[in-house]
Amino acid sequence: MKKRIFSLLAAALMLLPTLALLGGCGGKQADVILKVYSWAEYIDEGGEGSYLYDVEEVQDAPPILDDFEAWYEETYHESVRVDYATFGTNEDMYNEIVLGNEYDLLCPSDYMIMKLAAEDRIVPYDASFFDEADPNNYYVRNVSPYIKSVFENGTVTVTQNGEQAAHKWSEYAAGYMWGTTGFVYNPEHVERADLEELGWQTFISDKYTNRITAKDNVRDTYFAALGLTYEKELLALDRTSADYNKTLTAIFNRTAEEYTDAVGKTLLDMKKNIYGFETDTGKADMVSGKIWLNYAWSGDAVYALDEAEEKNDVLLEYFVPAAGSNLWFDGWVLTKGVEERGTKKAAQAFVNYMSMPASAMRNSYYIGYTSVVAGENDDMLNYTDYLYGVEDEEDETEENFYDLSWFFGDDNGEPVGIYADEEQRTSRQLFAQFPPEDVISRCAVMNYFDADTSERINELWSHVKAESLDPWTIIVIICAVIFIVALILFLQFRDKLGFVLRKRK
Amino acid sequence: MKIPRFSRKTLCIPYAVFLLFFVIAPMLVILVYAFTDRNMGFSFGNFVKFFSDPTKLSTIVYSIVIALITTVVCLLIAYPVAYILAHSKMKKKHVILMLFVMPMWINFVLRVNAIRELFNWIGLLGQANYFNTVFGMVYDFLPFMILPLYTTLMKIDPSLYEASYDLGGNAFTAFTRITLPLSVPGIASGVTMVFLPSMTNYVVSDMLGNSMVTIIGKFIYEYFGSDWHMGSMVALVLLIVVFISTFLTGGFKSEENVRGANL
Repeated sequence: MKKRIFSLLAAALMLLPTLALLGGCGGKQADVILKVYSWAEYIDEGGEGSYLYDVEEVQDAPPILDDFEAWYEETYHESVRVDYATFGTNEDMYNEIVLGNEYDLLCPSDYMIMKLAAEDRIVPYDASFFDEADPNNYYVRNVSPYIKSVFENGTVTVTQNGEQAAHKWSEYAAGYMWGTTGFVYNPEHVERADLEELGWQTFISDKYTNRITAKDNVRDTYFAALGLTYEKELLALDRTSADYNKTLTAIFNRTAEEYTDAVGKTLLDMKKNIYGFETDTGKADMVSGKIWLNYAWSGDAVYALDEAEEKNDVLLEYFVPAAGSNLWFDGWVLTKGVEERGTKKAAQAFVNYMSMPASAMRNSYYIGYTSVVAGENDDMLNYTDYLYGVEDEEDETEENFYDLSWFFGDDNGEPVGIYADEEQRTSRQLFAQFPPEDVISRCAVMNYFDADTSERINELWSHVKAESLDPWTIIVIICAVIFIVALILFLQFRDKLGFVLRKRK
Repeated sequence: MKIPRFSRKTLCIPYAVFLLFFVIAPMLVILVYAFTDRNMGFSFGNFVKFFSDPTKLSTIVYSIVIALITTVVCLLIAYPVAYILAHSKMKKKHVILMLFVMPMWINFVLRVNAIRELFNWIGLLGQANYFNTVFGMVYDFLPFMILPLYTTLMKIDPSLYEASYDLGGNAFTAFTRITLPLSVPGIASGVTMVFLPSMTNYVVSDMLGNSMVTIIGKFIYEYFGSDWHMGSMVALVLLIVVFISTFLTGGFKSEENVRGANL
């Protein structure tokens, strides 16, 4: 009995902190509660690994959300509490939204932003958000001119009350992180020249059989298969033409039935050659040397490059096929009802806070992705220089100059950029974070699939992923199963019959 | 004040509510989604599509085959182990039993990751995806086979063996006439507990088969990312397969010894 009392006491003691925690949560009063729904590990969470901890030597680096709450109260004289929830895939997030979960601010990817806008699930930003005169409008003041133009030029057809109208992406979304897709490779086993020659064909090259991975999601791998299928056509495009990027984007958005058959065949060829499909084991497998090539998002590529260098002393590199690749971005969008809930102001302030150069550095440093923020002065450029620039002043030669004007905007006609060594400029983290303009001009945003297309392409994907037996084999196996079932039933039945007979005797 | 009277029936209410909300309701939702289209109109479209698509049928077949092999291998490993443990006169046999059960205490994802590294070290990872998947499943579900077998074998009355030897039986006949028939409930419950989860445990096939092996669980997961209706149809078919296999292993019988063998 004594023992039991003791264990009860122990259990009660263990429960205490939990209760205190619950009480603590409820106790913190705030004027506004802002519900943010974003990717897991996509924001500075403080502690070791934070920019503040590493660079500014703040030993107890706070999470950026705490700093936002303090800043908001100071600036707008209103307290805010951020309820920050995370998701793993765009589809998970979409399902949550459709099921009616109320969030104020979301951070989906490009195509999901378009889908949400088209379905009238998100609302545009206020006009005041784009007022450059307001010093607190960090987003509009700091966003890169390049990202700005991408958002201005992209359109989405929005259905509102049965009426369709074209809207700019910039009305609905404020960028957060962006990047390209390409191959992380191990130069010990893979030669750059070889990759340049193969391009997307790397996926089906027998040199890399069982040494290359594709993404375990339909969109990214479908995109790669498009590149592979239409590589010749893509390479033959006139790069000087004004419509070059438009044509390229159209090819990378081929989803009509006439194209999907060919792409489906390509996908099957890819499957035969690759090591596997992965969602996040690729980074670790690259670092540990299981595979030589990993099809990856640029942010993950930076992470893999950093990890391999720190842990295994291996210098991995990043490559984008010459035929063109994917330009992707994640952006903040305001959900419908944000006005009614009275959280729109706080939500927009949140986006602005995240777009301060200081915040952008912190987030970018923490997660390894490239922020859309270019900054008003040289903050972001200096940060990039601090991370990837040459250390000796002697090396600041014309040859080592890496032009980043396309992203940061030129300085009254003078090119803007940093001095970096050749590896950084052509294949390492700097290249992955900020590819040269030449690479960027070859990148295309992939649109969302409408309901019918989505269904068709998902069917295609399931046919690629699963094995297909021929119909006769299936029929034979099903017959065999039915036979076995019948046999077992018969045996059970006979057993009972025998029992009954015995009883009668 | 009148003290409310509790009868046995009242005690059932919490569980009945639980059953209603978390077992019956979700099944009904699956049923509704499976037989509706995108606009929530009644449709047999998914049903027809499922049974006319060789890939989906193949996936069912593959899952069943993988699960069957897993079950048979588990049984072949677990039976001798349980038998030896139940019959040995070792003082420390509980320790050995615990060693078999202990992996269950460690997080499953961690264990699968460890196996993944091990396979990579041997050189099997990425080379034999189906073998790796089955191996992972066997490793994962073995304790679920050993435990019910051990319990049923322990329960067999030793005097039955004495009687068998008195009547001139040898060790072999004792096994085939006494041990085996009396352990059938344990086998049935072990088989159920291994067969059913190994049709759907796609973490194993993703991690050890590099996502190159698609089983029915993964299929459902992927469909629920985009098309809930087809996903529900696949889930419904799986439910029917589960129902049939439970029926065959006698899971619906309410005999005392069967229930006792279930964990």
